[in-house]
Amino acid sequence: MGTIKLDHYVLILRGDNLLEFIDGISTNKVEGSCTTVFTNKNAKIIDMVEVIEKEDFVALVGHKLYKDSVISHISSRVLDANIQIFDITNSNNVFFTTNKSLTVDNATIHESIIGRIMITPKDSEILEDMAYDEFSDYRVKNFIPYQGHEIVQNIHPLACGLGELVHEAKGCYVGQEILVRMRSRGRQGKELVRLENPVEDATTVGKTHSLRIQRIQN
Amino acid sequence: MDCNTCDSSTAIVINQPTVVEVTLTITDKAKEMLSGAFGDDRSNALLVGVLSGGCSGYMYDLQIVEETEQDCQELVIDGFRVLVPNATSHLLDGIEIDYVDRLMGGGFKINNPNASSSCGCGESFA
Repeated sequence: MGTIKLDHYVLILRGDNLLEFIDGISTNKVEGSCTTVFTNKNAKIIDMVEVIEKEDFVALVGHKLYKDSVISHISSRVLDANIQIFDITNSNNVFFTTNKSLTVDNATIHESIIGRIMITPKDSEILEDMAYDEFSDYRVKNFIPYQGHEIVQNIHPLACGLGELVHEAKGCYVGQEILVRMRSRGRQGKELVRLENPVEDATTVGKTHSLRIQRIQN
Repeated sequence: MDCNTCDSSTAIVINQPTVVEVTLTITDKAKEMLSGAFGDDRSNALLVGVLSGGCSGYMYDLQIVEETEQDCQELVIDGFRVLVPNATSHLLDGIEIDYVDRLMGGGFKINNPNASSSCGCGESFA
């Protein structure tokens, strides 16, 4: 395996009660660094984000495809809270790596549900030695959904393999009622599955198996 | 992570909605319950706010306060001082504050013409 650059954004939030604020608008229990999902009031995904708690700020790392939606989702809920949002995507790179011994100056390492990610200053030199196909195959083998493939904006988190990021006991957040109802009634509709190739309508194709979101067969 | 630019870079501009001159009504039942809560001291005020969160995105926040540091507009309705933060005035214009007398799910309720949807408990709206 190796290291691959991800097409991710990095936002910085500064201000008061940042984790509490993120907790109130996302599916996972946010008490520190973690992975969570922003959903809209219909419980459809806005983006899956990495929450990284630092000493005087919180970083949010998600896929560039959904950056504008996330900024809109967050900023419309700031109201009069003391929270400022900064976009530092242009001065940083985000990498996924399976190389546990890889060290880079000023890198922030975060254990995500996809594995280890590193946020590094733009000018850091990192050898990219993993092709996108290899990354896809790694995800298929480890049953990991990813933005632009399984994680898209017209689907809810339970249907694309993000159930572990939907906390069962936390209080209200945007989209919670629908997700709780789906779980309690056993009606999530679709699920993420891994099937042996060839797979029709695959969301990610691996060497031997692929991922697909399909209607749950009763 | 390079956050050297954080302090010098400009924050993303959060579009603040236009401040609306709020009108609101309080039902007779709600006035009766507020009278009980305020007692004879009408120097306190009812702060009607909105917080981020809840199943639908925003949650109502009712408090009895002496004063607040929030930038508010003050209304006086039948002797009750009501404070509405300017930052959320667009979400609260035209609301009716009601009181529902039920053993479960009872209490102050807000009927909001600006809400496109609300959650089952009635505390959250979008």
